[in-house]
Amino acid sequence: MTTQKEFIQDISTALGRPTPVSVDVFTVAPTTAEQDILKAVRQRSSGERQPFIKTLQEVSVPLHLDFHPERSLEDIRQAIITLILEKDPEWGTKKSVVRWDHPLLNSLNLEAAAELKDIPLYITNHVAATSSADDLQAQRQQTRKEVEASFIGITSADYCIAATATLAMKTRPGQARSVSLVPSIHVAVVEESRLLATLKELYTLLKWDEAEQAEGLTNNLSLISGPSKTGDIELVMVHGAHGPRELHLFVVSDHR
Amino acid sequence: MSTIAPEKYKENASKNIADPVLQKALSGLQERLGPATENLYNSLPEGHKMRTEAHQFRRKAIDNLDVLLSTLVDKVRGHGGIVHFAKTAEEAVEICKKIALDNDVKTVVKGKSMVTEEVGLNLALEKEGIEVYETDLGEYILQLSGEAPTHIVAPAIHKTRREVAELFTEKLGTPYTEDPPILTRYARKALREKFLKADMGISGCNLACAETGHIVTVSNEGNIRMSTTLPKIHVAFMGMERIVANLEEQQSILRLMSMGAAAQEIGGYVSYVGGPAEVDHGDGPQEFHLIIIDNGRSKILADPEFREMLCCIRCGACLNVCPVYGKIGGQAYGSPYCGPVGAVVTPLLFGINNSADLCAGETLCGACKQACPLEINLPRMLLALRSKLSEGDPDWDVQPKSKGENLIFASWQRFNSNRKVYDLLLGLMRVLQHLLPAKQGMISRLPWPLSGWTANRNMKKLAPKTFMQQWREKKEKKGS
Repeated sequence: MTTQKEFIQDISTALGRPTPVSVDVFTVAPTTAEQDILKAVRQRSSGERQPFIKTLQEVSVPLHLDFHPERSLEDIRQAIITLILEKDPEWGTKKSVVRWDHPLLNSLNLEAAAELKDIPLYITNHVAATSSADDLQAQRQQTRKEVEASFIGITSADYCIAATATLAMKTRPGQARSVSLVPSIHVAVVEESRLLATLKELYTLLKWDEAEQAEGLTNNLSLISGPSKTGDIELVMVHGAHGPRELHLFVVSDHR
Repeated sequence: MSTIAPEKYKENASKNIADPVLQKALSGLQERLGPATENLYNSLPEGHKMRTEAHQFRRKAIDNLDVLLSTLVDKVRGHGGIVHFAKTAEEAVEICKKIALDNDVKTVVKGKSMVTEEVGLNLALEKEGIEVYETDLGEYILQLSGEAPTHIVAPAIHKTRREVAELFTEKLGTPYTEDPPILTRYARKALREKFLKADMGISGCNLACAETGHIVTVSNEGNIRMSTTLPKIHVAFMGMERIVANLEEQQSILRLMSMGAAAQEIGGYVSYVGGPAEVDHGDGPQEFHLIIIDNGRSKILADPEFREMLCCIRCGACLNVCPVYGKIGGQAYGSPYCGPVGAVVTPLLFGINNSADLCAGETLCGACKQACPLEINLPRMLLALRSKLSEGDPDWDVQPKSKGENLIFASWQRFNSNRKVYDLLLGLMRVLQHLLPAKQGMISRLPWPLSGWTANRNMKKLAPKTFMQQWREKKEKKGS
């Protein structure tokens, strides 16, 4: 068995030095350009974000992403209800829907919709880290069952990048990563204030923003740009290889 | 599945050149991806310097690999991950096998990973009675048909929809159809069942980030996310060079990689994995193992001539422009690493003498360097390999390829440097060439020992007058 010490030692030797030397490869302070990006993002007004909506509309087309025009919570709620009613499940005939436990999604209050009374709406629950191993395991199994059964998964996102229509999602209690992956249709609802211009802005925030630094990337950060796709048979583009076949994106205009 | 047999290069290349289906697939692929990637490079908001800088980021990471790996390892452990080190392919396989056996693993789902091909993982797990499923659609097709990949990113590009239709009907029992969306749905269904029952998911690592302690995987199908989300154990295989220091550098490299690989601004799914799922999270694997693999890389690292090769991120952009790859296809290289990148990496990892034909087969036209998102100088390294083959090199265990060839070139050099002898031989050849068999004004067969040259091509006849003669005559005409 090769130990870490031996393994790293061989690399140091190959590099022509006796041991790993301390080098300045990790940046410790943002560059002026990065400071400018941070400032621009923080001071950006709602009006300055409007062009991002247009960009999202444009880049959604080649990505095969369904970008919806509804902007108010009430309209978005109605549009999602329509999606749930009109779309067909991929596996089997029974419909159910799973969503994150997330303030924005809670405020949609889909559970109260009379039209959906026959369709189970699951919420990926919080579990206290202090719960017993059995309880944690039971919760995991339940989440798994609900996600597998659901044909639509509804999430929010930490950020949405206009230039590439990329959703950035960290993992947190109540925000299971499989909700954006296993159901055939992924619906994402994002607040307009979470829109960014470019991936560069995203990375600058992840790296230098104090709140982001404090939380870290979490053990699983996903960047999702459009529905699942493949071109592996004769380069013919097909959507829905293993992940969701459809990705519906809603941006909520500032509602507070 | 790829077996490592670079010594069959010539044989396989001849076979592939004669295969019209493959020829059509390869030219279709190159026509679409090559120019599309170039367009993206040309419209980079950061301009061309982004590529030069990205090369420097990678180079800095390689030059400080010991520091970066130590940092990554500490961070991953801090996140609750388990890190293993494998000096050799065998060791990497043993580590993974042990994890599987200790956890009573029955079914493994795999995201596309070149390094698991390099170490021969699948076969070893299957020998233990473990079911292993490739889940990238292209890789899955090849696993069903028992073939080697043709392309790094589009492995099954040589299969026509008709062949896939027949294969699925035979192996999956699905109704016959040649419709790619329906065929994709069949594979989706078949593999969905495997994802749901698998107890171990295996992925590669496109590029780790040292400062945060995450590996990053990129896919468009979502198969890697499935493999690393649903099973209770996630094992990631990482070639030790796949790392970069910090997030800002990773941002530019991941974008460039997506452009090189599939002419995309960014891959459809980019996942950062730092460790197992936290206990209070509802899903995700409960164990995360990272296996960091050397398998010959520290030897490349130690050689200043080839260290640059470790900057490669295996995007496959060089394949989409290479005139040689575009004719012979990936299987000819007899290695998981094909195309121009394979012509350099395969000799360095699996023996230079074994892979002599790979180094000699490329044209040194430089298209690969231009297409490489990081502008890695593959032609320079191909030349360096050829020089080792010609002169021999005990450090790399290289035997000189042919003493006779060296002798011929040495005497050629002497004739060439003497104008009188050169002119005399030229005159002689001009007469003698008419005795050789010819087709459409080209010499179709040279006598031994030059016959190898005309085995696959015709040779242009010498012009009746040399350039020097023409120049002189032209000048005299003007003067008169």
